[in-house]
Amino acid sequence: MPHQDTAIYKAMFDAVQQTFETMAFVEVAEQSEELELEIPAEASWVSILINDPVQAELRLALTHSLQSTMAADMFGIEVEEVNENQRQDIIAEILNTLAGLFMTRLLPDDQTYQLGLPEPGVGLLPEIEQDAIGWNLQIEGSPLLLVANGASLIALNK
Amino acid sequence: MKRIVIADDSATARMFIIRCLQIIGLGESEFVEAENGKEALTAAKEKPTDLLLTDLNMPVMDGQTLLKWVKASPKLMDMPVVIITSAGNPAKEQELLKIGALKVINKPVAPPILMEALAAFIDD
Repeated sequence: MPHQDTAIYKAMFDAVQQTFETMAFVEVAEQSEELELEIPAEASWVSILINDPVQAELRLALTHSLQSTMAADMFGIEVEEVNENQRQDIIAEILNTLAGLFMTRLLPDDQTYQLGLPEPGVGLLPEIEQDAIGWNLQIEGSPLLLVANGASLIALNK
Repeated sequence: MKRIVIADDSATARMFIIRCLQIIGLGESEFVEAENGKEALTAAKEKPTDLLLTDLNMPVMDGQTLLKWVKASPKLMDMPVVIITSAGNPAKEQELLKIGALKVINKPVAPPILMEALAAFIDD
């Protein structure tokens, strides 16, 4: 886990906060205690590649209940009416948006960057690599896990 | 009634943009949703379209290619195109404006940002 005053940690935390507050009207907070990075079984995840100027992968995992609550609010429907496609689409669009904000905050103004398309994760969230950066956050008590992998991105953190 | 085409591969993003447009006073418009640039181009050619809002990063045809197609089409070249993207920064914005984008807005979009970007369009 990185020290929380590194540029990467702050850039991502700010990006996550702005994305969730603007899109879903919810506040994101850091976990109050240092916890192991883990995600409950009732959760799904999505990934996106950063292709340029660094090569990295971001993964976002959220609980189904949190995804459903946000989808219901955003689509103006009841929680029970939220389907799997809507849940997946919301988490994908959130990751897409926060990935862009993250890179904008991290890079100089004249530096372009290229993102891939969000892809739904299959199965359980892969084991977190030893040199990965993790953000262990929460939204109203529900866990939110973000992981960044990629040596060239991690190198910016040093 | 204005006709607005919204291109984004995410249904969530399209819905969110439509909500913002409704909030800023364009709720009476006809909203046409497209999942990629190719669908948006087809939709814009079908009927006179007043505004095209498009994401950049989409499968099949991305937003920058869509913008080039629009600006190369005598029928569509005067249609304002606003890019709403998660992959924008000042360098990219300049590139898109040079190709002919009216505005470039970074996600997450919010009503005040859209209001400012579309002020001339709303007053028209």
